[in-house]
Amino acid sequence: MLRSHVAVPSGAAASPQFRRPSNAWRGPTVVTCTARSGRASVSSCSVTKEMEVAHLTDSEGARGEPTLGERLRLGSLLEDGLSYKESFVIRCYEVGVNKTATVETIANLLQEVGCNHAQSVGFSTDGFATTTTMRKLHLIWVTNRMHIEIYKYPAWGDVVEIETWCQSEGRIGTRRDWIIKDLSNGEVIGRATSKWVMMHQDTRKLQRVSDEVRDEYLVFCPRTPRFSFPEEDNASLKKIPKLDEPTENSRLGLVPRRADLDMNQHVNNVTYIGWVLESMPQDIIGTHELETITLEYRRECQHDDSVDSLTSAEFEGASENGSSNGVALSMQNPQHQFLHLLRLSGTGLEINRGRTVWRKLKGKKEKL
Amino acid sequence: MAASFAAAGFFPKTNTPIKPAKNSFLDKPDVISLNSVPKPNKSDTKSSMKAQAQTLPKINGTNPGVKLPFENVLLEEPPEKMSSPFQTTSSKTFYNALPDWSVLLAAMMSYVFLAAEKQFTLSDWKPKRPEMLADAFGFGRMIQDGSVFRQTFPIRSYEIGADRTASIETLMNHLQETALNHVKIAGLLGDGFGATPEMSKRNLIWVVSRIQLLVEHYPSWGDVVEVDTWVGASGKNGMRRDWHVRDYKSGQTILRATSVWVMMNKETRRLAKMPEEVRAEIGPYFIERLAIRAEDAKKLPKAEKKDSSERFVREGLTPKWGDLDVNQHVNNVKYIGWILESAPISILEKHELASMTLEYRKECGRDSVLQSLTSVSSSADCTGEDGVRCEHLLKLESGSEIVKGYTEWRPKRIEEGNAGAFSGQSA
Repeated sequence: MLRSHVAVPSGAAASPQFRRPSNAWRGPTVVTCTARSGRASVSSCSVTKEMEVAHLTDSEGARGEPTLGERLRLGSLLEDGLSYKESFVIRCYEVGVNKTATVETIANLLQEVGCNHAQSVGFSTDGFATTTTMRKLHLIWVTNRMHIEIYKYPAWGDVVEIETWCQSEGRIGTRRDWIIKDLSNGEVIGRATSKWVMMHQDTRKLQRVSDEVRDEYLVFCPRTPRFSFPEEDNASLKKIPKLDEPTENSRLGLVPRRADLDMNQHVNNVTYIGWVLESMPQDIIGTHELETITLEYRRECQHDDSVDSLTSAEFEGASENGSSNGVALSMQNPQHQFLHLLRLSGTGLEINRGRTVWRKLKGKKEKL
Repeated sequence: MAASFAAAGFFPKTNTPIKPAKNSFLDKPDVISLNSVPKPNKSDTKSSMKAQAQTLPKINGTNPGVKLPFENVLLEEPPEKMSSPFQTTSSKTFYNALPDWSVLLAAMMSYVFLAAEKQFTLSDWKPKRPEMLADAFGFGRMIQDGSVFRQTFPIRSYEIGADRTASIETLMNHLQETALNHVKIAGLLGDGFGATPEMSKRNLIWVVSRIQLLVEHYPSWGDVVEVDTWVGASGKNGMRRDWHVRDYKSGQTILRATSVWVMMNKETRRLAKMPEEVRAEIGPYFIERLAIRAEDAKKLPKAEKKDSSERFVREGLTPKWGDLDVNQHVNNVKYIGWILESAPISILEKHELASMTLEYRKECGRDSVLQSLTSVSSSADCTGEDGVRCEHLLKLESGSEIVKGYTEWRPKRIEEGNAGAFSGQSA
């Protein structure tokens, strides 16, 4: 399991704040939200002139230009306070070899908007986004599962709008969902969902979500279930089997760089995506783009661990062992599918399992 | 090596001579309207033909049939002397006017810029009054009559490093982004190397040869930084690109940087002199403003005699997929991460980078295996008593040097805001 600062909103602020639409944030009555240095606190409405920090305040009235302000709001809670939306420009260094945003960039943006959602409803800003009760009990959120589908990758300069919300999931978890849209035409270009569980910070043991904690954040969740993957039997629910070894491809001895550590000195979630891709066959990476990635997080990785990344093709219903007839079968299947495993190099303990589905890039010939 | 950075060249794309006269078409504010420009010349390749066909710039690759909410984003509040409001219909982002990144060659539309040469030093610089919503999405805009480009960036959570401030890689990424956007917004974006038509004719590209930066203060999560960038001459054959980064709210300087670019023949990979035709294209855009003045330049670290210093090595570094730019070369900024990989953790944990000089020697790609070496010396004449000075080398295991670096570190300042969470309302 991984600790991450993308987590579930907590009811640090009392619910009366939400009777009104997003204007609610301008009231000075928001109590316990913590402000980060240099950033406008939600309790002060007149501070920010700059749009960039406008996801904390509604810019309406702040500058006397309501129309532009409303339209250019970068990130804010939606009117009912139950979800949060933010827009991002894709920057040049976020674009990869395919000239479009990398999946790591998308994952980073999902994480960012999750953080900002949490922050906008007044959670702790230490990167853990915990509720008050959780902090008392030394509990933190950790990611259990992450599933991202991208239908169209944005390019440099494109603006994407990401909406996110969360809700409880069963007894022990919560889920956070995202919808990614191209801002210029409203087209849905991606969806994602993630599952989170609570863990004790020191013992690293899982904990049930108590009613107390659940009440703290439920006020921020949609009242009726809302899923970014509403369809039945959707890919986000599929189990990921363990890879058989030997695998077709592997990359051993991957080590976290200092740049891979987040502000809490843990390996950032998104780094795992990069590691999973490291053992992808070169010819696929060169000619295909990632359509879907599902990761099941099992164990944390520390900054001084060494990781092996293993990959094999997966064939639906066919042989479990994907190695021998891989090429012949995959030719019939236009969408390539792979199973992945990340494990600690020394002990072989699983860090996470993954599945990826790839689609061919337009205009690229597949190498055999 | 400098594929991505190289596009930071900034060149007009027109054969019409650029008049440095003032007020030549100053009825518009700094972002130039498409309507007022002469057509691009036809000596270019198909991309310019494509570009000419695109009279309606597109946003996100699609033609906006309706007025989109952020069309006005590129507008900036006109400075006082400009009277007429900017026409929005033509001010759409032309970033995505180009259908295919790979066929970007010299600019699709030429602009007549007002590029008066000015003598600027930092002390002359007065911060403008707060910009309104124009740069909300961070596309950036031209200021000072087109000679300087400005863009703001909010610091995102994933850009924060292990020490809870924006990493140096984040800051350098911003420099790269503004350089490219500067070229783009000027309508001069070339084939990824920022080559002008005259350069392309001769197979010339820009490559970065040196970057120097002085960091005064590291921003934290949620801060907004404002980056100004401009170009100037560097010797007879080179170009200089400078940046000045400030905290948007307080105006406090975050970092100042300067870089030197040289021309190289794409085929032979040898350095080239600047042809007169290229000089005519780009000369008018050079200004003499310096981000790092002479007295500050003394703080920049450089080579020194190594007597007894500790050495550290990190081997077997290989580029990941995410490290490669569109040309399958390792992005410049990634080198910094590798250079710092071999710096001892004791320095990284207790110090912050105060200044850095990087000399780029050679490029590397996906299959390279690198070594990162660091020599540490604490010399008395560092910044402050507890300062540390290091010399770095990033080289292929086969021997060629990729980047040489010199860094100076100062003890970290504990700032309230960096502790995050429970520090409550901090300054």
